[in-house]
Amino acid sequence: MSGSPIKVVVGKPGLDGHDRGAKVVARTLVEAGMEVVYLGLRQTPESIVAAALEEDADVIGLSVLSGAHMTHFKRVRALMEEKGLGDRLLTGGGIIPTKDQETLAALGVGKLFGPGDDPDAIVDYIREWIREHPREDAV
Amino acid sequence: MGTDNVRIDDLSNLSAGVSPALAEGLWTSFWDGDRRACARLITKVENEPNSIPGIRERLADRLGHAIRIGVTGPPGVGKSTLCSAIALGLADRQHRVGVIAVDPSSPFTGGAFMGDRVRMDKFVGDDRIFMRSLASREGRGGLSPSTPYVADVIEAFGMDRILIETVGVGQAELDVMNTADLVVLVLQPITGDAIQSMKAGIIEAADLIVVNKSDLPGADTVLQSLRFVYSLGSAKSGKAPPLLAVSAQQTEGIEELVDTLEQLSTSIIQSGRHQELRQQRLVEEIKSGIVDELWQRYLRQSDAERVIENAAKHLAASGGSAYKFVREMCSNIQLTVDPKANA
Repeated sequence: MSGSPIKVVVGKPGLDGHDRGAKVVARTLVEAGMEVVYLGLRQTPESIVAAALEEDADVIGLSVLSGAHMTHFKRVRALMEEKGLGDRLLTGGGIIPTKDQETLAALGVGKLFGPGDDPDAIVDYIREWIREHPREDAV
Repeated sequence: MGTDNVRIDDLSNLSAGVSPALAEGLWTSFWDGDRRACARLITKVENEPNSIPGIRERLADRLGHAIRIGVTGPPGVGKSTLCSAIALGLADRQHRVGVIAVDPSSPFTGGAFMGDRVRMDKFVGDDRIFMRSLASREGRGGLSPSTPYVADVIEAFGMDRILIETVGVGQAELDVMNTADLVVLVLQPITGDAIQSMKAGIIEAADLIVVNKSDLPGADTVLQSLRFVYSLGSAKSGKAPPLLAVSAQQTEGIEELVDTLEQLSTSIIQSGRHQELRQQRLVEEIKSGIVDELWQRYLRQSDAERVIENAAKHLAASGGSAYKFVREMCSNIQLTVDPKANA
């Protein structure tokens, strides 16, 4: 399946309404040949993980600019484990201090991106991660 | 341009070499109602066309009861919002509902931006509904090539109403006609005058026409021009399809729409039309299956790829008809069929 497009679910958990970043990143991933399911604003961790499950997404990308990143990323990661999606990549971006990124990384959250990062770096990171973590057929 | 003499026989062995190596655990979870297994199986069907015959063989016993409802129309008329409302309405009438939403793939990068879930966020986590977004990939007729098989997976998973939302279409993207039992055409006010509705194509395929956004000005004009066009007669059934004005966002007219869909579903089941459509699709499936199977077998027994490549090179350089070559090549194939096999 190496030739199949990578499927990414992109959403914004919580009440923060700044979705320009999420749209720019979604667009970049599409330009890179990925299939992006865009969920939009005001999602809950539950709705994001439920969507990723039905879509059989390889990657979940969260955009959090509200400062509530610790809560949202932790909760989404926990739900992914609970629903059997622990083998997928959870990544994202926003205003997320380095020390918080380290804490989240220890919980199994992937690399997080911030203002000024090159969008293409996100594409490279996802491709690399998928290459290193091929999914197995067994459920 | 000589070709090898090849025999293609033994049609009794048709399914040889196509069974996919799918983990048994996946099937067990699927039959147990695990949504994750259903999602995974859909991905298989999407990404590995070679696995489709084997997968369908295992699903076959569970197919044939669901009504597949195609929802089509131009971009931006509100197909997703409407599908969301229909799905909830059908679920409230004790149906288990599958929703397949197809969005266009870029012909340049292969990527796709799928935004249907933005309008379909009312039933996330609702066990009565299973929703999946599909990128159209190589499909150019409004659906992805795998859409009918994805519908099979969802039906075998236990859904008895399946909504299939096409990409935003123009006038002649008609995949949905061959995939769905019922076709709902969605239009909106300010959609063009009567001349638009008089053109051939999608408008003839509709079993039900919905004018969405009926709260906006111009809805009456659209309804009037559609009534006029249908008063002139319809090619498909000889009678005009029901015409409804709704506002999906304001949830006006939705109850009536869902009731009408239920009546149409009952009527195609009772009239035998549903069975007939299924039979037609099976005929097409068998025909194309035989073509694929024989082609694969031919490739295994000959050097056809190379011979064709050389012939094309020759024809491109020096002219001549490709069909002359095809006739020559086919005359070297002996296709023998055991008369007893066709009894």
